[in-house]
Amino acid sequence: MPKYLCIQRSQPGGKREKPSPTQMQEMYAVFNAWKDKFRENIVDMGGKLGGGKVVTSEGATDGPFVEAKEVVGGFMIISAASLEEAMQVARECPGVVMPGSSVEVREIRTP
Amino acid sequence: MTAPHLVEHFFRHEYGRLVALLARRVGVQHVEAIEDAVQSALMAALESWTLSAPPDNPSAWLFRVAHNNLIGELRQRTSRLRILKKAAKEDIDTLGNSPELFLAGEVHDSLLQMLFVCCDEAFPVESQLVLALKILCGFGVSEIALRLFTSEANIYKRLGRARSQLRELPPRIGELTREQYTARLPAVSKVLYLLFTEGYLSSHAELAIRRELCDDAIRLAVVLAEHPVGQTPETFALLALMHLHAARMTARVDRSGGLLLLEEQDRKLWDQDQIQIGLEWLAKSARGDVFSRYHAEAGIAAEHCLAPSFQETRWDKVVECYAMIEQIAPSAIHKLNRAVAVAEWQEPAAGLAVLEGFEPPTWLANSYLWAAVLADLHRRCGNIEIAKYYRGAALRLSPTPAIKQLLQRRLRICCLG
Repeated sequence: MPKYLCIQRSQPGGKREKPSPTQMQEMYAVFNAWKDKFRENIVDMGGKLGGGKVVTSEGATDGPFVEAKEVVGGFMIISAASLEEAMQVARECPGVVMPGSSVEVREIRTP
Repeated sequence: MTAPHLVEHFFRHEYGRLVALLARRVGVQHVEAIEDAVQSALMAALESWTLSAPPDNPSAWLFRVAHNNLIGELRQRTSRLRILKKAAKEDIDTLGNSPELFLAGEVHDSLLQMLFVCCDEAFPVESQLVLALKILCGFGVSEIALRLFTSEANIYKRLGRARSQLRELPPRIGELTREQYTARLPAVSKVLYLLFTEGYLSSHAELAIRRELCDDAIRLAVVLAEHPVGQTPETFALLALMHLHAARMTARVDRSGGLLLLEEQDRKLWDQDQIQIGLEWLAKSARGDVFSRYHAEAGIAAEHCLAPSFQETRWDKVVECYAMIEQIAPSAIHKLNRAVAVAEWQEPAAGLAVLEGFEPPTWLANSYLWAAVLADLHRRCGNIEIAKYYRGAALRLSPTPAIKQLLQRRLRICCLG
């Protein structure tokens, strides 16, 4: 089955109240439910991405990576029969529900 | 493999435990840094435990992370301070030596100490309640606002004020003195009582939300009752009344969430285990020479729990208890309650006689309770016109649709023609 790279992005600066312990526990439950539902699809849970630099022929810059307004937060690798199915997995991921966040899904082409 | 399920309220209760444990170690004046460290530890747990799996001992994991967060932050502050003031030593030096483990008994002691710190007579009682909800129960600001029926801005204001007062406490208040514990005990009981009634009497629609507050109040009251400082007949009476009320909670609503009158409730739904525990606490509370309002209120709750039916309730005993509460803590609401009980014990006119010539204070006159009781008693006495007047007022003043519905049912005046 083809594999897909999911890149999670969010809009920085959204100053919201920090999640309360109850909300965090809900997030924990929702995330685990999602993991259970798509257990077959998840190849690598990936992780969070820290800050970085963009290296170009002219040297290194602080960014922008994709678009200045966005922050790349994390990545993971999933497998799915089609891009549509991969998108479905990503769409239901609890990390995407937050306002202003998005996931980019790209097929990983192997020769 | 399915991810392990965390026990209900795990994060919220951990929040309270961790803040209390850390405050005991570094001093409560660092409460903001402590809360931040705990918040970050819970966030770290959320990330780490969803990516892999929770550790074998989640509490110990959280404590270690929160402890390290806090020490890191306080060390940074100290070195900043040193650079600024060239101050030689700070209280933080002792921190590094703290073992990174805690003993089970320490959790109880810390929670209790934090409870007494929150109930500082220097804070208004509203702030004490908000502090307890935030620090000990681990509720977020918007969750507290929802439960206390007030705005988030108001909660922020109360919290901010209380926190800045905590900050100004002498460094390392460490242990409160025995005298301070004794002096603050009534305030602690009052906050636990308020926490419970916020849940029990709240017009909040969701039973689960109300239940949560009641359970937390009981949880903390048990911590109090297990400590020598809190082992007083009043504390036991407080626990008795909490359990005896909680026993009837589920029966107070019908299947669609509507409120039910005491006489409409299915007594088979009352939780017999809770009643049993309540009666045990009540028996324990019957010593010493102080008859507190908690004793009287627990006595009333016990009468209701033990009555086989509404009609067979020992209303004379209920009236007696209300009269005692009136003496201990004079309030117009107790008089109103006594009038209701007298009406059941004798006749509606006798209930009205209790209120005869009584001018209710504005807060009561403007509440649906006053109008509803008068409407009901006048209706039963056949004073239809007066009953209609108060009925209108009661409906207009009812705070929630559920209460309005209940009043409409109760105050239906059938002989209007």
